[in-house]
Amino acid sequence: MVVQAFFVGVFGLAAIGFGVAVFRTASMVRSALALLFSQAAVGCMFLAMQAEFLGVLQIMMMATEMSIMAIFMVMFMMDPGGLGGMDMSHQKRFSIGAGAIAAATAISVALFSDWGPIVAEAPDAAMQTRELGFEMLGRSMLVFETAAITILTAMIAATAVAIPVRQPGVDTGKLDKGNGDKEQEASK
Amino acid sequence: MSEAATTLAGARKGRPSILRRWVGQALARNLSCLVVPGPEVALAHGLDLAAADMRIAATPRDATVLLIVGELSQKLDEATAVLYAQMPRPRAILVLGGSAPSSLPQADVSADLSQTELMEAATRLQRLLAEDAFAASPDDFDSSILQAKTEYVCPMHPEVVEDEPGSCPKCGMDLVAREAGGDSDAGEHDHDHDHEHEHHGHEHDHDHEHESEEHDHHHAHHNDHGQSHEHHHDHEHHQNHKRAHDHEQHQGDDDHEHAHCHEHEDHGHQQSTAQEQSGTEYICPMHPEIRQNEPGSCPKCGMDLEPHKPEEDEGVREGVPEHDHEHHHDHSGHDHDGHDHSDHDHDSSGFMSMVEVTKDLPRSADGLAMDWLEVPFGPCFPGLPGGLKLTLTLDGDGVTEGQATSLVAMNTSSEEVAVETFIERLAAAMPLAPVSYRLLACRAIEQAAGLEPDPAVERGRAAALERERIASHLGWLAQLGRQLSFVWLTRRAAALQLETQRADREQLVALRPALQSLIARLEHTPLLKARLKGIGALPHGSQDLRGPVARASGRTEDARQADAMYRELGFEMRAESAGDAWARLRQRHVEIMTSLDLVEVAGDPELPKLRAIDNPSGTGEATVETPRGRATLRLTQERGQVVSVELDSACSQHIGLVADLVEGQELGDALVAVGSLDLSPWEVTS
Amino acid sequence: MTVALVLLTLLVGAWLLAVIEAWLTTGRLRPVAPLLAGLSHLGRESILARKPDRLFFETAPVLLLVVAVLGAAVLPLAPDLVIADLATGALFLNAVLAYVLVSLIMAGWGPNGAYAMVGGWRFLGQLIAYSMLIVMPITATAMRAESLLNSAIVESQAGLWNIVYQPLGFVLFFIAAIALAFRSPFDLPTAPGELAGGVDAEYTGVRLAVLRLARLVMVITLSAATTVFFLGGWQGPLLPPWAWSLIKTLAVAVSMLLVGFYLPRIREADLLGWCWKLGIPLALLNILIVGLLILVVP
Repeated sequence: MVVQAFFVGVFGLAAIGFGVAVFRTASMVRSALALLFSQAAVGCMFLAMQAEFLGVLQIMMMATEMSIMAIFMVMFMMDPGGLGGMDMSHQKRFSIGAGAIAAATAISVALFSDWGPIVAEAPDAAMQTRELGFEMLGRSMLVFETAAITILTAMIAATAVAIPVRQPGVDTGKLDKGNGDKEQEASK
Repeated sequence: MSEAATTLAGARKGRPSILRRWVGQALARNLSCLVVPGPEVALAHGLDLAAADMRIAATPRDATVLLIVGELSQKLDEATAVLYAQMPRPRAILVLGGSAPSSLPQADVSADLSQTELMEAATRLQRLLAEDAFAASPDDFDSSILQAKTEYVCPMHPEVVEDEPGSCPKCGMDLVAREAGGDSDAGEHDHDHDHEHEHHGHEHDHDHEHESEEHDHHHAHHNDHGQSHEHHHDHEHHQNHKRAHDHEQHQGDDDHEHAHCHEHEDHGHQQSTAQEQSGTEYICPMHPEIRQNEPGSCPKCGMDLEPHKPEEDEGVREGVPEHDHEHHHDHSGHDHDGHDHSDHDHDSSGFMSMVEVTKDLPRSADGLAMDWLEVPFGPCFPGLPGGLKLTLTLDGDGVTEGQATSLVAMNTSSEEVAVETFIERLAAAMPLAPVSYRLLACRAIEQAAGLEPDPAVERGRAAALERERIASHLGWLAQLGRQLSFVWLTRRAAALQLETQRADREQLVALRPALQSLIARLEHTPLLKARLKGIGALPHGSQDLRGPVARASGRTEDARQADAMYRELGFEMRAESAGDAWARLRQRHVEIMTSLDLVEVAGDPELPKLRAIDNPSGTGEATVETPRGRATLRLTQERGQVVSVELDSACSQHIGLVADLVEGQELGDALVAVGSLDLSPWEVTS
Repeated sequence: MTVALVLLTLLVGAWLLAVIEAWLTTGRLRPVAPLLAGLSHLGRESILARKPDRLFFETAPVLLLVVAVLGAAVLPLAPDLVIADLATGALFLNAVLAYVLVSLIMAGWGPNGAYAMVGGWRFLGQLIAYSMLIVMPITATAMRAESLLNSAIVESQAGLWNIVYQPLGFVLFFIAAIALAFRSPFDLPTAPGELAGGVDAEYTGVRLAVLRLARLVMVITLSAATTVFFLGGWQGPLLPPWAWSLIKTLAVAVSMLLVGFYLPRIREADLLGWCWKLGIPLALLNILIVGLLILVVP
């Protein structure tokens, strides 16, 4: 128990540390990867709390997602390497306010929720996975399906919006090919 | 040996320990060489590196030995020095046939151009490396060619390039140091060629530390704020111009924006009073419409705001120089044209709008605005013919524009030489097709002398020419294999090329099944057709096409059709029609088999030799269908001396096609397209 | 003990692969060559590119090696020869392999060179192509085993190996595994003829040695995964279980090399197009077929 608590603490601090690093660097790629490692540290917290499936899933998903975020940053930002020493933080006052409110909310939820009786022994990992499966394909199915369809719709819509409107009579032969690749990237 | 030891450039000082001795022996038995000008030239000279236990390295970083094959042109010589500087120590230089390059340290081993000499040289090199890889007194390699010029560019506006640090006249961002490229014709790793060296232990050598310091200095240039104080001043100046202009034209607009920008700021109303009182305000170097009365960062892009006095606006406005005026006019025009209303709405929420930030950047084929990067490919790039330098402007991995130049182009304005020497020189100058050019020179001289073609001689010559065509096309296939990491093809085609080069008629006929099976296999290799089909398409009507490239586009262009000897041999031209890289591959397949048929009919190949000529003066012109297409040589000779020469070759025409072929293509496709032309940079006339 | 045995297997496998690879490219069989190459890298100068992202540059080769070894840690070579038989083993392998991408992005971005950078980002495109073809066939094998335990997946194949039960899944996984290990014909990030080594281009000395070792170990790990998921793992007659694992793993690894030897590099656009338009529908079909088989055949 003590060991577990210790590791939860360590990974929690690591998550916060990497989170801070996101804003302390000028390089977009470093920033994105710092966010990745921050999220991976959260995944490790799950592992330390014996939620194996959730932890591994978190660690897996973040690698791809944050890498894709990194390439979008590099593609669209004017100084992705941070050679100009750009400051990552902006709207400071608003951010501080929002951060403080979010933290207060999270802490109060943690303190004032009724978490039920403490379970002496967590079910083993295989059992957890099984129960998670039943949960997701039973009670929560509608929620997940709705979310999935919404995300898919949003991706298709975003791609459709991103394709430049073709004007009749303008040769866009070269444009088509390039867009095909990008669409696929975006739809991921 | 002591001389060699100095240039072998042992990585560091100190006595050879047991570990070092092991490493030296390991290095010696594991030679990887960077071939200059390129592996295809080594093959064309009949060198089999694998047989000499040498591996071909793709990059200088991976090479132990710099293997120089033949004479290098001045430009290639300099590029080679850059490559050499990139090789990690211990490193050695092996020169085969030709004088040691002038920009490089003395060769560790030199030998003649032949397989036996190569084997022998490899053994010597191994002994040298095993013993002296970590010499006690390594000299540092430094050359004026390696001195890079530093230039300063704006991270956002690639077109802004200055000689000195400062800020961008367009957006005011600090300029970033980078190494100047382009005119120096440096090697493939141009962008980083004078790197900092990081040594393992305490065994630094002095020159190196010095070099590192120099680099730190470079760094300092753009990191140290104190140093660039002056430039900040400049920068404000520019900003002021812009501000001034905005005010002049769009007073109302500006005010409107003000209101917007500060809607969410607590000090919205305070600002105007503060401004009136103290007079100092802070503006964003990138977004002139962002101004506030206290330091902070821009809500749009997050950059630090720059302090600035509004009164200066007025002062500067009067003194705006004319050209600057125009310049900024452009810019402010962008800020305020109709479309921007949406941006403004956007901005008011405080988010950074990528649309706005990138809208002035040039767009590439896929419509994305990204940093453009000019990247040199060559002159010793593994996927391209050696000596060819391809400069591509990359946008992601798409090519925005590109341009090919030859670093080994032939210079035809030479001094008077004896005819025999001329023939030798011309043949030696074209390492990828020496027989064709020897034949061309012989024919032109004989024609100038008024000799009629002798069928018996012509027969042997035709066979030699066709043999070279087979070897050359096989060499191209090996090169294609290298470009596409198709190892089987590289090995098979290179082996066949080596066998073909010096084969007589009988041996060539015996190779027929091997060639047939190679071709049959390639036509059915999965992925190969998909890789080549539709790439580098040259339409039927394209100008300046010759040789296999023309015939792959369906043009009936072949100098051999006009040749009486070929008619006698039963030559029949066959042509593909699609005009893409796949058609070029198949065209070369067809030509390999056609040439084999011709050799079979014609008899043993004989190297062209100049026939006895009685009239050593006159003007002659001859045309030969070289493996890469028709070449025409016009020359004038006087009393056995060649006085003027004019060469018109296929590659001189084809190199001009590169720019159109690569534009808008994905990088891999662009390189395949360039490769499919089978350019020989030596045959480009300057 | 188990850890040492697994590591030894990986190293021996990597050495054998290097020997065979050199044999294919040069036509010479030299068993000591990989050792000599490794030794000579140790003595060579380590060059640091100018203005690198030093942290990424140094981390990338090590991360790749760690990823390859961690992946092998959850793969059983014999019933009791596995470092950690996690209850989420199949998923864990996926999670670990996702970090190959992170490593390559670091290796591409770190050295501040154009070839490396293009190579690194190219791999991101490649991941978008292959990743679904790794995950979906593994899902189908886990469906049959009704478990994410890798040892349970092996045991589920006692009667019939998955290569027969779900051949479609095997083909897709095998191709995707080559793409994941970025070996020819999917060597887009390194692409010697296009990018002069790409992500490898700026590495020298010890770092290069680590990078190359990591790539070889990666092939072994993926071959072991193919063995576990599709070739019945340690199962086989006569020989002891570990020997079967070893034989099957090496056979898969060598066939991966051979595929690369006889094929030219694929076009990036084709890779993306084929994977999405053909590969993913086929992978879904595979899941459907396996699902039906499980329900219909007892």
